[in-house]
Amino acid sequence: MKLPGFFRSRGAAAAIALSLSAITVSGCVLPPRDDPAALAAYKEANDPLEGFNRAIFGFNEGTDILLFRPAAEIYRTVLPNPVRNGIRNFLRNLRSPLDIANNLLQGDLAGAEVATKRFLINTTAGVGGVMDIAADNGLPYRSEDLGQTLAVWGVPEGPFLMLPLLGPSNFRDAAGVAGEAYGDPINLWATNTDRDEIPVVRGIVGGIDTRSGLIEPIDDLRRNSLDYYASLRSLYRQNRISEINNGQVPAGSESYPEFPEFPEDDAAPAPAPVDNSNGTAKSSKP
Amino acid sequence: MNRRRFILACAALLAFAGTVALPSAGRADARSDAAAKFVQDLGARAIDVLVKPQLARDESMRRFRVLLNEGFDVPYISRFVLGPNWRTATQQQQQEYGTLFERLIVQVYADRFAQYSGKNLDVNETLKITGSRPEGDTDSIVNSQIIRPDAPPVAVDWRIRTRDGKQKVIDVAVEGVSMSVTQRSEFSSVIQRGGGQIEALLDTLRQRVGSAG
Repeated sequence: MKLPGFFRSRGAAAAIALSLSAITVSGCVLPPRDDPAALAAYKEANDPLEGFNRAIFGFNEGTDILLFRPAAEIYRTVLPNPVRNGIRNFLRNLRSPLDIANNLLQGDLAGAEVATKRFLINTTAGVGGVMDIAADNGLPYRSEDLGQTLAVWGVPEGPFLMLPLLGPSNFRDAAGVAGEAYGDPINLWATNTDRDEIPVVRGIVGGIDTRSGLIEPIDDLRRNSLDYYASLRSLYRQNRISEINNGQVPAGSESYPEFPEFPEDDAAPAPAPVDNSNGTAKSSKP
Repeated sequence: MNRRRFILACAALLAFAGTVALPSAGRADARSDAAAKFVQDLGARAIDVLVKPQLARDESMRRFRVLLNEGFDVPYISRFVLGPNWRTATQQQQQEYGTLFERLIVQVYADRFAQYSGKNLDVNETLKITGSRPEGDTDSIVNSQIIRPDAPPVAVDWRIRTRDGKQKVIDVAVEGVSMSVTQRSEFSSVIQRGGGQIEALLDTLRQRVGSAG
């Protein structure tokens, strides 16, 4: 398995990656060679570690059903909406140094300007970040993280990865999460001043807050999926592509889905009639 | 990689694209404008027919099916969602799959609409068209936002294909996630895990929505 250079330079990340590959040698799926449909499915899934990932997924489902979903529901029931918004705003504001840094690293000066203004306005006028005054004044929040930055730099996503407790990811985004956990200034300060509980509390509250906003969508997905794991895998990948492109997926890029006509399928339930009145072939696409 | 050169090339490309794209975008605007109106009308009809009245499950499923086939190219979507597996399926399997797929969509979405049943929504306050553009020779992308009370709006993009002068939705993307692509991925996984047999998918669908008789 070839790992991006980023992994090799980080001792801890490399150790994690190594132990992962050790666990998964047996669960590694090799690409099928003879069946084109199977090969297409293999490529689209981008999930050679599927056996291992599905095991982690089973564990995550258990903890979610027993712990996180109930906690998220209690959180949503006990705290009124304005309080939850305040908590979310506060946590987002804490991420501002990371958002600004990632915008800069991506060469997005306009994005960095918005993130900086948001930080200054919300920290002061927004009472330490509890109120999102900036969003009401035309400076909406946009999440930027190290995984997105690496993607902008051209680091490939690597295989799909189901992280314990954290959920769907890939090798690149997992490296991003690890990097941010080390590099976050608030966490650095907390660790250096023996306040180790702060990053932990921050992580748990942030997780429960995020989960509480997804109770209905995830219930819906669980109920209506034929293969919930596969749905989640596809959702994660598409959503990340959208985030990396800041919601503007460029047409013609590899990640943009193509919607071809299917003229070869005359046996299709309702074959698309091609206008052939002039006796000429269908005009070619650019 | 020479970054500066890359940025310069991009800037040049942008400037060039600006001068070239404008006239052709003007020509195709009529199509994407029509697509935007199509989505707005579809939303209005969905609210009138499905959301405002209190309906029994059977009736809401019946109404949704009518609306679905009016607004969406269901045969195209079902073909797209099966991906390369379509070609290996027999004609009989294709037909059964088509029926089961439609049934799945009707059941799932009729239930989703049922959550809003009896609410007096206004389409202009619920579905906000934020833009539209032509895409390729036949398609338009209509950008919209679904406005929800007490929650951030959801970005929904509709892909409309014009065929023989008729418009039909062929994909819906929610926050950049294409429903067709997600479903294709899911179906493909069911088939692969069932030993590459389309029968595995048909079985799962039959169990979910009842046999297609």
